[in-house]
Amino acid sequence: MFRKAKLLILGFLLFSVTCVAQEKLYFGQTEIGFLVGNSEEQWDGNRQRRFDVSFMTFHGAHITKNNVVGFSLGIDQYDEISVIPIALGWRGFLGKDGKPKIFGGLDVGGGSTILEKKVSDEWSKSWYEGGSLISPSVGISFPFKKDKTTLSFSFAYKRQQVSHYWGSLIQPGSQVVANDKLPPGYNSLTENNFLFRSFVFRAGLIF
Amino acid sequence: MKPLYSASSLLFLLSVLMFSSCVDEVNSSYTYHTMMPIYLEMSDVRARIITTEPAQPIDNPGKIYIYEDYLFINEPTKGIHILNNSNPANPINLSFIPIAGNVDMAVNGKILYADNYVDLLAFDLSNINNIKLVKRVEDVFTHMYTHATGEIITFRDTVITTESPNWGFEDGGGWLMNSSMSFSANYSAASQSYGTGGSMARFTLANLHLYAVDESTMRVFDVENPADPTFVKPIDLGWGIETIFPFQDKLFIGSNRGMHIYDASTPNSPTRMAVYEHVQACDPVVVNEDYAFVTLRNGNACWNGVNELQVIDIKDLYKPTLKKSYSMLNPHGLGLAGDFLYIAEGSHGLKSFNVSDVMNIDQNQLEFLTNQKSVDLIPGPKSLIVIGPDGVCQFDYSNPAKLKKLSCIQVTNPTKFY
Repeated sequence: MFRKAKLLILGFLLFSVTCVAQEKLYFGQTEIGFLVGNSEEQWDGNRQRRFDVSFMTFHGAHITKNNVVGFSLGIDQYDEISVIPIALGWRGFLGKDGKPKIFGGLDVGGGSTILEKKVSDEWSKSWYEGGSLISPSVGISFPFKKDKTTLSFSFAYKRQQVSHYWGSLIQPGSQVVANDKLPPGYNSLTENNFLFRSFVFRAGLIF
Repeated sequence: MKPLYSASSLLFLLSVLMFSSCVDEVNSSYTYHTMMPIYLEMSDVRARIITTEPAQPIDNPGKIYIYEDYLFINEPTKGIHILNNSNPANPINLSFIPIAGNVDMAVNGKILYADNYVDLLAFDLSNINNIKLVKRVEDVFTHMYTHATGEIITFRDTVITTESPNWGFEDGGGWLMNSSMSFSANYSAASQSYGTGGSMARFTLANLHLYAVDESTMRVFDVENPADPTFVKPIDLGWGIETIFPFQDKLFIGSNRGMHIYDASTPNSPTRMAVYEHVQACDPVVVNEDYAFVTLRNGNACWNGVNELQVIDIKDLYKPTLKKSYSMLNPHGLGLAGDFLYIAEGSHGLKSFNVSDVMNIDQNQLEFLTNQKSVDLIPGPKSLIVIGPDGVCQFDYSNPAKLKKLSCIQVTNPTKFY
């Protein structure tokens, strides 16, 4: 899936290169900040505050003077789970050159849990699988004097799905009727689908 | 600067809004194998008319019985497939007899015996194209009754997905919902019982009597008049009974604790001669004049077992002694044809040995077909019939050192072995 996404991005970038002849084509944005959310309901009905680190870098190309498309890559921490968000994105700007600008953005893609270790022993296996990601954002950019680089502050909403699987393995010597509900070799499978909804505040640079 | 102020206040408002709705969700699902209890009224079961039906694809082969040029293949809990096997290289699926709850069968003359939950049925095979039910002996396999009201309980191996990982206690399943209880082929008639008229059979005929073993009892039927089987009596065997193998006047009964030897010279009242105890494991038995060959295997309900072939000296039937044991991979059924022993090694394959020297069986391994997964086998008059997860295969075994595959009947829903 990611390979497809990458190809799509590449294609899109190439397409943009051919049809845009602006003075500056490349657009980069790197930001770091935090994710805030409220955990799922605990046994007592309360929710716990989730407060974690978020890092994001966006690479794109201007398709018009105020519109940029590209892809974003980063790292988000959700409690113990590290997710690498990979998304296609858009940034749109409002304002005059040399002045603070308001910008909006949208990133749509998926999160990878490749940093999470797969645990496997004689009896069981457990692993994470990433899921879809959507993140609309708004922000303000402040240009530095005499420089093309601008300071940016983004506020975003981020919806990230992550699944955790724990399966007990069928022990040698057992006979099992084939079925399509369980992956082959598994006796049982517990699936936890997490939907993280977070508010994100990030600060960084646009260059 | 004014528009910027209004814009930032809008941003602030928006972020507060978003923040307040940022709550996580977790959905869990738990998928597991289990034995689902099914309750049936025997009166309903008996009301069903059993007639020969057109051939059906073999879904999941259970026990196999050779009758003349025919193969009877049991589909556990569903019925019996009848195949014309006059040419082992090309068996032809002829018909199907739907018998609910059927696990085992035996043929006596022209009469087929098959269990139908708690009843024993007798079918007339004189016309193979029109097999007729000639007798029903009611209420003999009574261990299936939940209580005395005619309701029986069976179990179906099922995969269930629940929202809560609480093992389904809410629907009263209790211990039945424990996945480790699942696929314990030896626990209930409805589970996926493998075995054949070979070493894993639970029905056997000897001296005009039919012996049927369940997990704790041997039931004796007088079948002197084949079409009119009569129930003689149950004999308590103790727990964990799995297989029965007749040899001459003796019955060798494999249990998960050992091998029972019964003297059946008085056919309607076999008496125990000896019990050979070993570690707990699953164990089919085959026997010749001097030795019993027992496979012990680790799996299913017989945990903590070992995987080995034991040779037991039975020259003195009252004092069986272990002669030697050989390490195996995961031995299931086995078959003896003269001096040659064939062992189904589960997912590991199929082995053949020359056992004329019982002290050196390991050095006389003739062949090991690692690509032939097998659970049980029968050395038949025309072919060696091997039952495995992928189907029922037949081999030319005129040269035991070089088995030649003749045919394989593919199954539609193969059982997986691990």
